Amino acid sequence: MRVFMIFLIAAIGTYLIRISGIVLLGGKRDLPPRVRRSLNLIAPAAMAAIIANSLLLDGAAWREFGAWHIAAAVAVGVALWKRSMGWTLLAGVVVFAGLLLAGL
Amino acid sequence: MTPPPSPPTPSARRTLWGIGPQQWRDFWAGTKDIAPLMPGSAAFGLAFGALIRSAGIEGWVGNFAALSVVAGASQIAIVEQVRVGAPAVIAIITALVINARFALYSAALAPVYSAFPWRWRLGLAHLMTDQAAAVSVLRADDWPSPVRRRWFILGVSLPFVAVWVMGTAAGVALGPVIPDTWQIGFIVPLMFIAVMVPSLRTWPALTAALVAVAVVLIAKDLPYGLNVLTGALTGIAIGSFVPDSEEPGIIPEAAEEES
Repeated sequence: MRVFMIFLIAAIGTYLIRISGIVLLGGKRDLPPRVRRSLNLIAPAAMAAIIANSLLLDGAAWREFGAWHIAAAVAVGVALWKRSMGWTLLAGVVVFAGLLLAGL
Repeated sequence: MTPPPSPPTPSARRTLWGIGPQQWRDFWAGTKDIAPLMPGSAAFGLAFGALIRSAGIEGWVGNFAALSVVAGASQIAIVEQVRVGAPAVIAIITALVINARFALYSAALAPVYSAFPWRWRLGLAHLMTDQAAAVSVLRADDWPSPVRRRWFILGVSLPFVAVWVMGTAAGVALGPVIPDTWQIGFIVPLMFIAVMVPSLRTWPALTAALVAVAVVLIAKDLPYGLNVLTGALTGIAIGSFVPDSEEPGIIPEAAEEES
C-alpha cells in the first residue's frame, strides 16, 4: 500500500508537469532560454546518476568488478557507435548473458 | 416521438465506434510513424514489470504505475529507492526530478495543441512520452488541420503507451519465474545507457552526465539514495553553465534513437 501511494503521488505530480506548458503557455509565450537549457539537461543528468548508482554501487558499497561493468562498457561503446537504443540493448543483454554463462 | 432512423450513408456504414474513416486513417498514419520505436517501449515495460516483482512489490501496483505514471525511467527510480529503503518523499522527489523534462515537451507541444479542445489537450498530455513528443513536434506542421492533427497525434501517442502497458503486464506475469541468477537488475543501468548515451550530443549534456556520475559516487554514503538526487541536481546546475556551440533542439534526439 505504501508503494501504491508513492506511485499515485508520483503519477499526479507527473501529470501536473505534463500539462504545465500546455496550460500555462497556451502556445503564445516561449520559455526563457535559461529555463530551457536547464530542462534540456535533466534527462542526461538524471539518467547518468541512476546508471552510476545502479551499476557502480551496490547499496553504499562499490560493486565488485565483473559482468556488470564489462557488459555496460560494451553497451556504452555500441551506443556511441550505432547511436541506436535497440542495438545498445541487444548488445548489452547478449554480452551480459554470455558472461553469466561463462561463470563471471 | 422518436426520430426516424437516418438512412445509412456510405460513410456511416464505414464508421467504427463512431469514429469516421478519415480519423482512423490519420490515427493509423501516426501509429506508423512511431512504430519503429515500439519494440523499445515493450522491452522497457517488460523490464519494469519483472523488476517490480524482483523488488518484492505486488504485481497490480506495477500495472497501476504503468497506467498512471507512464514514465519508465522515473518508475524504475522509484523501485530502486523502495528497494534501498528510502523514505517515500525522497522516492517521489527523485521521480519528479526525472520527469521534470516533460515540462520542456509540454512547452514545445503547447503551440501544436493550441487549436485542440481542452479535453483533447488534457487527455493527450497524459499520453506524453519522450518518443511521442518528439514525433508529434517534428511532424505537426504536416497536419495543418487541427481535427486531423489531433487524430494523428492520438495515433502517435496512444498505441505507444498501450504497448508499454502490455509490456509491463507481461513482465509482471513473467517476473516470478525469472531465476535470481539471471540478475535482472542489470536492466536498470543498461536501459538508461541505451536511452541516454545515444542522445549525448552537446557539451552541456555531456558535462551534466559526467558531473552527475562523479557526485553520485562521491556522495555514495548519503542515506536513502539521496546521492542520486544530489548527483542529478548538481549535474544540471553545473551543466547549465557550460556554453553550447550549437543551439540544442527543442526535443532531445529521441526520434532518432531507433533509426
